[in-house]
Amino acid sequence: MKRNLWATFVASLFALIFILPLLGAFYTSLRTDNAIVSGPFVWEFDSEFSHYKNAMGAAGYDFASFFRNSILISIGTVILTTFISLPAAYSIVRLGFGGAWLLRIALGLRILPAVFFIIPFYKLFSNLALVDTVRGLVLANTFVNLTLALLIFSSAIKDLPYEIEEAAHVDGAGVFRILRSIVFPLMGPGLAAVGVLTFIFSWSDYLFAVVLSSSEATPVTVGAANFVTSYGVRWGDISAAVTLSVLPPLIFATLAQKYLVKGLSSGAIKG
Amino acid sequence: MIRQRKDRVSAFVLAAPLLVFLSVLVVWPIYLGIRTSLSRDLLSEFEITPAGLENYRTIISSPDFWTAIRFTILFAIVVTVFEAILGFILALVFDRSFPGKRTLFSLILIPIMIAPSLMAVMYRLILNENIGVIPGFLQYFGWDISIFDQRYIFFTLVALDAIQYTSFAFLLVYAALQNIPQEIYESAAIDGARYRQVVLRITLPILKPALAIIAMLRLIDSFRTFDTIYILTGGGPGISTQTIGIYIYKTAFITGDFGLASAASVTLVLLLAPLMPKIIKQFRLDIK
Repeated sequence: MKRNLWATFVASLFALIFILPLLGAFYTSLRTDNAIVSGPFVWEFDSEFSHYKNAMGAAGYDFASFFRNSILISIGTVILTTFISLPAAYSIVRLGFGGAWLLRIALGLRILPAVFFIIPFYKLFSNLALVDTVRGLVLANTFVNLTLALLIFSSAIKDLPYEIEEAAHVDGAGVFRILRSIVFPLMGPGLAAVGVLTFIFSWSDYLFAVVLSSSEATPVTVGAANFVTSYGVRWGDISAAVTLSVLPPLIFATLAQKYLVKGLSSGAIKG
Repeated sequence: MIRQRKDRVSAFVLAAPLLVFLSVLVVWPIYLGIRTSLSRDLLSEFEITPAGLENYRTIISSPDFWTAIRFTILFAIVVTVFEAILGFILALVFDRSFPGKRTLFSLILIPIMIAPSLMAVMYRLILNENIGVIPGFLQYFGWDISIFDQRYIFFTLVALDAIQYTSFAFLLVYAALQNIPQEIYESAAIDGARYRQVVLRITLPILKPALAIIAMLRLIDSFRTFDTIYILTGGGPGISTQTIGIYIYKTAFITGDFGLASAASVTLVLLLAPLMPKIIKQFRLDIK
């Protein structure tokens, strides 16, 4: 074990570089305004956490509502994506619906640049009164995450022992019964993988949010980016807001790390 | 399984939500996008009129469009190669046991969980000339360079992209490494192979298909780079860091020319189209 200390060193170096931006934001968020403008190494911390209080509403920013929107959009996307792709994956894999071409089309979607869709979505959503609504952003993010969810669910269903379903079929259980009572309970790991990845990627969406939201449905990604441009000098408040914005997917994904790793390598795809 | 009529109905019912979704949010938008590209459709004018191929003529003769395409391709290739190499090295490091491995693995995965746009905001914090930790550190050692200067901006953006996305490459290479049977290494060790030989002659050839998929995924994704560069530079200085995504976004929502922006989108898809079947083939999508 001891002779592998160099591996610890190399891995630590990479890890340090990867989390440096987060550490920097966290460090800034705890310092007083005076210390922030005096230089990066002036050691003076704010015992009141006033940057956090400001970010969460004390200074009149809308950050709390951006936060609520991000949570609603991410959870809504997880639910809708699962609702659409799990039955479809079962239909494709076990009932032969559409064959492999349906999966190929889904994969083709993954390759199409998302930017192609921003103008049609903007027009379509304007007509349907979905611009600047949480529902609209749930639909857009479901579009983004559908391929990954289909691939993960398909490979998870393929891995289930077919004999159980066959036995149930022989016993007279219908397709819906089999799906509900046999397949769904066995899909735990697949559901967890789709859940954690869809949550991260919908939380991370910026492109569709910047096009399809203006104020009511603005999530934290757009909120934080606007923050930098409109309150350019209030670095302390910005860093507190960013630190808070990063936390929910970070906590969720760290708890579900096993499924994140499995989902990413089985779907071999990023949203 | 005996395929009954009832099964076919159930199969259709189960796939129905997907089919509805694809029709409304994929097929219809593709049609809308193509129709818009053939129209004079300006934010400043109420009327939308047919324009034939006018927008395509404008796009194809637009130097800004081709500058954006060139920048996007160059950036995509450089970051893909750079991140694949770093990810491979990191995966080799992790392919053994060492003190603190579990914790470090979790830390390495953190960039995957952070939104690129939020990462960009944090970059602006730590790289800010007046208050940033990094410039402060560099100045401390007498290095007074502006990393957002025209001369360094490309390397800065590549480095920042690597901070965010090397973890993806690492994770996928690492997963592929786990599938190599340990016996191969053991017999190589018995034959007295050195580590460098093992990596070059055994690990690398076995990983080649996996590496190809990983590189392709990173290439597709870096082609759609938008958030980070848009928030960091807005495409500047000038248009020197304008990706095709930023170009299309700005043309539509800042210049207000939907027709031209749609023509640019369709042209982009046509340029990428020859690659698609190859990419789809790389994935083994058998349903059995």
